[in-house]
Amino acid sequence: MLNLLTAERIKLIRSKKLLIVLSILSILPIIQAVNSKMMVGYGTELIQAKDTVINGATGILMMEKNGLTVLLTMCAFIGFFIGEEFQNGTIRNALSLGRSRIHYYLSKLLMVSLLAFVGVVVLTALGMICFSIVLGFGEVSEINNYGWYALKTFMTLYLLILANVSIYVMISFITKNSAISLVWSFLYTIGTGFGAGIFLETEHFKHVTFWFTESFLFYSDFASPIDVAKYSDMILVSFITIVLSSIIGILVFKRADIK
Amino acid sequence: MSEIILKATNVSKKYGKHKVLDKVSIKIKRGMIYGLIGENGAGKSTFMRTVMGLITIDEGDIELFEKTGMKGLQQARRKMGQSIETPALYPELTARDNLRVQAANGGVSEREIDDLLRLMSLEHTGKKKAKNFSLGMRQRLAIASTLITHPEFLILDEPTNGLDPSGIVEMREIIHRLVSERGITVLLSSHLLDELSQIATHYGILHDGKLIKELSREELANETRQYIELETKDVQKAVVVLDELGIGDYEVINGTGINIYERLNDVATINRSLVHANVTVSRIGTTRQKLEDYFLQLTGGNHHA
Repeated sequence: MLNLLTAERIKLIRSKKLLIVLSILSILPIIQAVNSKMMVGYGTELIQAKDTVINGATGILMMEKNGLTVLLTMCAFIGFFIGEEFQNGTIRNALSLGRSRIHYYLSKLLMVSLLAFVGVVVLTALGMICFSIVLGFGEVSEINNYGWYALKTFMTLYLLILANVSIYVMISFITKNSAISLVWSFLYTIGTGFGAGIFLETEHFKHVTFWFTESFLFYSDFASPIDVAKYSDMILVSFITIVLSSIIGILVFKRADIK
Repeated sequence: MSEIILKATNVSKKYGKHKVLDKVSIKIKRGMIYGLIGENGAGKSTFMRTVMGLITIDEGDIELFEKTGMKGLQQARRKMGQSIETPALYPELTARDNLRVQAANGGVSEREIDDLLRLMSLEHTGKKKAKNFSLGMRQRLAIASTLITHPEFLILDEPTNGLDPSGIVEMREIIHRLVSERGITVLLSSHLLDELSQIATHYGILHDGKLIKELSREELANETRQYIELETKDVQKAVVVLDELGIGDYEVINGTGINIYERLNDVATINRSLVHANVTVSRIGTTRQKLEDYFLQLTGGNHHA
């Protein structure tokens, strides 16, 4: 497993894909901070519930503000990162050496989880710094212990993102092709992100909406105490999603024929 | 008795209703260069993939380095290297980084990278990415990549595919060198029997997923050797003349022809003796069965061999 992770590290460090992902997640907070400053300059009052990040303290919510962008960036990265192994045939190099398919799957999942973590740390840290510079650090209303709140919020948001990352990894291993994986991952993101809300319109199935991590990510206000109280639900749904998608992905991959 | 590196017994694989491998049994001993020949779609790559554990088999058994079972095969595969179909490389990485990745996959040191780059004449590629390599360079890098884990058994699927004549010669030399210098056992495939005949020590001919013939280099040479082809209606009289001439290595074909496998330079003498004995000779001359014809004869088709 460690050998596979070392190989993944070499591939990732030399890859342009890593640079692109980190560039997107680095530039985004700078542009948004400048944009918010300009809006304030033009006389618009920033409202936390609508604008999500309005100062350095609410910068911890950068993942919520950029949820869709982070997900689409990761879905594109994972589609190529895993799909290309199948398409270039390089997956054979590791598997034909007798490496376990479970270890191979988990090493990929671990690497993209790590990249997602680094990416959201960069996004959040730069968001907090940039917003603090242009709009001041300020505070998150109704939050007394900011340090504890920030840690809980960051980890919960990361887990929600990670659940989707795990789904994208599963899709990539099932489809074995970058382009097809991209299409299905995109459809999943859009479908569960915006389609799951349809269940809210029904009486009997409205709870189904919150079986999907994206419903939390897109429709919750992580600065509101009511939604902060739902963190445990969010963590539970995320864990179940990660475990289930990994089990399905591994089972399918173990039976797959490698061309 | 030399160690059996690969023993495949009745290996079968189906895709839907189509049987791509049908009870294929192959035994490869240490030191062999085993050439798997077959037209496109005969099942060569599929067989190689089953050996490498890349695809599951529906029936049969595979034994590697005298080990069986999932764990045993996993361990045995660490002593193997493969380059199946197109060279499997990371196009965005340099030759050195490609080798580093494979060294990490195999859990071996990177010490040998420079030697391998030199061995494959890739030491001057520097920062050039694999995607900018010629096909010959990519093939060489793919082989270098398989060698980094010190394999004892190498599987090469059509290693000369797409190479120009000089590239083919170079690849042949590399394989010879690997066998002689490193003692590696090789299983390689090609749809060109002529090409394989210059490398392999043993041959297996696959046709429609079935192994229809196995033979050694000597047996192949024997079956495709040069001979004097004699056509006559007086076969019995001709046989007497040949016996009188002291020729014993001949074969009567279909009652109207005789293939003579010795004294290939004495066509004129043989002809004169036959004429003196009143044998009507319709045709006489030296000929060699082409490997392609031999292959077609075996597969019974018009496939390109």
